[in-house]
Amino acid sequence: MTAVAGLRPLLKVALVQDRRNIAPWVVLITALSASSVLAYAWVFPDEASRRQLTATLGSNPALALIFGPARDLSTADGFNAWRAGALGAFFAALMAVFIVIRNSRADEDSGQAELLASGVMGRQTRLATAMAMAAFASIALGAVSWLVTLACGGGPWDSLALSATFAGSGLMFTGVAGIAANIGSDARTANTLAVAVLGVAFIVRGYLDAAQAAPWTAWLTPFGWLEEVRPASGNNPWPLLAAVAFAALTAGLALALNRNRDFGMGLIAPKPGPGRGGRETTVWGLAFRLNRGSVISWLIAFAALGVVFGFLAGPVSDVLGDGSAFLPTGASAGSSSMLFAFLVQILQIVAIIAAVFGVQIVMRIYAEETDYRVEPLLAASLSRAKYLASNAVIAFAAPAIALLITGAVLGVVVTATEPGISAGEVFGQAAATIPAVWVLVALALAAVGARPDARLVGWLGVVATFALTLLGPLFRLWDWVLGISPLHHVPSVTAPHPDWTGLLIVALVGLAFTTVAFAGFRRRDIL
Amino acid sequence: MSAAATTDGAPAGGRGDAVIRAEGLVKSYGAFRALDGLDLTVERGEVHGFLGPNGAGKSTTIRVLLGLLKANAGTVELLGGDPWKDVVALHRRLAYVPGDVTLWPGLTGGQAIDLLGNLRGGLDEERRRDLVERFELDTAKRGRQYSKGNRQKVALVAALSSDVELLILDEPTSGLDPLMEAVFQEEIAKEKARGRSVLLSSHILSEAEALADRISIIRSGKIVDVGTLDELRRGTRTSVQAVLRTPPADPAELRFVKDARLDGTKFTGTVEPDQINEAMAELSRHQISALTVAPPSLEDLFLRHYGTEDDRS
Repeated sequence: MTAVAGLRPLLKVALVQDRRNIAPWVVLITALSASSVLAYAWVFPDEASRRQLTATLGSNPALALIFGPARDLSTADGFNAWRAGALGAFFAALMAVFIVIRNSRADEDSGQAELLASGVMGRQTRLATAMAMAAFASIALGAVSWLVTLACGGGPWDSLALSATFAGSGLMFTGVAGIAANIGSDARTANTLAVAVLGVAFIVRGYLDAAQAAPWTAWLTPFGWLEEVRPASGNNPWPLLAAVAFAALTAGLALALNRNRDFGMGLIAPKPGPGRGGRETTVWGLAFRLNRGSVISWLIAFAALGVVFGFLAGPVSDVLGDGSAFLPTGASAGSSSMLFAFLVQILQIVAIIAAVFGVQIVMRIYAEETDYRVEPLLAASLSRAKYLASNAVIAFAAPAIALLITGAVLGVVVTATEPGISAGEVFGQAAATIPAVWVLVALALAAVGARPDARLVGWLGVVATFALTLLGPLFRLWDWVLGISPLHHVPSVTAPHPDWTGLLIVALVGLAFTTVAFAGFRRRDIL
Repeated sequence: MSAAATTDGAPAGGRGDAVIRAEGLVKSYGAFRALDGLDLTVERGEVHGFLGPNGAGKSTTIRVLLGLLKANAGTVELLGGDPWKDVVALHRRLAYVPGDVTLWPGLTGGQAIDLLGNLRGGLDEERRRDLVERFELDTAKRGRQYSKGNRQKVALVAALSSDVELLILDEPTSGLDPLMEAVFQEEIAKEKARGRSVLLSSHILSEAEALADRISIIRSGKIVDVGTLDELRRGTRTSVQAVLRTPPADPAELRFVKDARLDGTKFTGTVEPDQINEAMAELSRHQISALTVAPPSLEDLFLRHYGTEDDRS
């Protein structure tokens, strides 16, 4: 095994080095599972409330999009399998992707890997180590999540099945990330590739679940396989074997690709470029140029989301027509207003994805700073405010455009099958959602501008909004708690008298955050 | 020589026209004091060597001068303005080369040069072309494909082709090969002839010795010595190396040569500058067959501040 010589010592050091980056993921996903077991007994103490839960949730297609089908909500374990299953698998996959890329590709970019590669080390050792780390983390996640959920009152077999799907998801995307690490020519590209595969797989699974497609379609995506494990409603272990086989196959392919790849290069070689600067010689042009690739791919993704969700409207209106009890607050009776309420929820989900997009652009501002690329710019005749503004404009504009694109596409596609819906109103609803996204972007900007040590706040804002918007009503939280989510203040544009005051306040808060960002960025030390 | 000799070396009457004047700068990171009462004066039109080993506070000083860091105490004046407040106006008049240049991975070197030049208010086209040629820089490569030396060249071309009064160079030649190092020295000499002021931070002593009019030596966030090379040498002993055909039985018996050491026929020692004549007379009695007499090099001065006095603090 000379190809992977030096694996053990490197793995040991790398795991110790990376444990601080891995631990939060394990904690987050474990908390997801443990908290739903704990909360279930507290929020749904009796038979009646559980029956009501089954009736409302079992048929909510917008929630099925994110969480998958609700198979059995009458027990704590069944509820946990639904609330934590798909989401936990998604985060476990994300964890694996980040571990693999961080420990293989990113080190090549920084030059640290060169130091290692010159040591007594096989050609494939570093990639093998990175994948071993992700595999180890995935299995550790499964074990921790199982034990903690058990301690919180989960059933032993049901919790084991659920935790095993987390581990399975992590293992599968370990292999996917290994392949991406060989295709992209730098860490950022490799990350984008792997996360794109993850995102597409998740959305396809969501579409199939929400549309209540034929059962065989569950086998189309890796996440569908994990759903077929059916934790707490069957506990079928066989799909897990398929997941392990998939992981082994992709990991083997990644190592094979790695054998023939030049150090520091990807499959796609960089081409020479212009010897003279054009538009990117202004700070505005530079900010645009640096974000161009990711903005274009995100915008395409948002257009695709509009198409996918638009096609979902047909099957969903059939589901709604079945006389289910799905009735979001504020929607009056009538199939098209119920469908519009569904579209409002869809746009809330799109808004959260748009916020991720915006916050990512904001975080890049700090990444440029830690790479010492801001220093030479500010050493030129450039004010800090102008530099921050050039990036802030993109961070605000891009998610807004993304929402509008999804809104437009969604509206057009929906009206093709559902004449009761107005495309203009769907677009209007998307536009009305923009200020809520902006306030989340502004929160991240305030952190990066004034206190970059606390920039995690930016992501916490998105996570809190996600939890409050999609799960808050479920847990019957107080109105003022739900009101922390900016999306709570977006009125439905089809309401007879939409109330805009909440949204105005949200916009003002966003303005305040932005002011903090600029004031702080002027005062603090630059790396 | 004492560590308290901070600003003594500044020429009298130079107060009128300094491009950089820093007094009592303090910058702390938690308990660590990166700058500990630093004084630095760079006169207009001079190349000022800023010497110190890694971690002495050179880059921190430069970042304060660039208005990237805010000093905890002390006063700074840059080109007659406040580097923290008048950032945009001042930076139009200066150019900066960092010691470790990181480029945008997707932008070519040419794009990066034009970006930095444009942000400074445009660059001299002819000079840009000339410098790209002299430094043999391929401007069509992407940032991530450049080696360290080539990244350094990108930053040098961008800085030297701008029309500015002050160049701030932080270890600008790290990674350059000896040929390019020579080109760099020629270009800096040209800049000086044009009347530009240069703050040249370095730990390459031959570079500073060749270029600098005056030198400040920094140690642990403080300037420990400042002046022209001659001024720094004042009060230091000249070194003598000789091959003696009939060496003395005990080198210590030589009265005018200190630190005398004998290795076979090879003799080394130091001499007070005003006693060279007596020392030579003493040595010539032992049949000199080869002789080198040199004032202390910058390296000797530098080592005196760092090497032998390390345990002083």
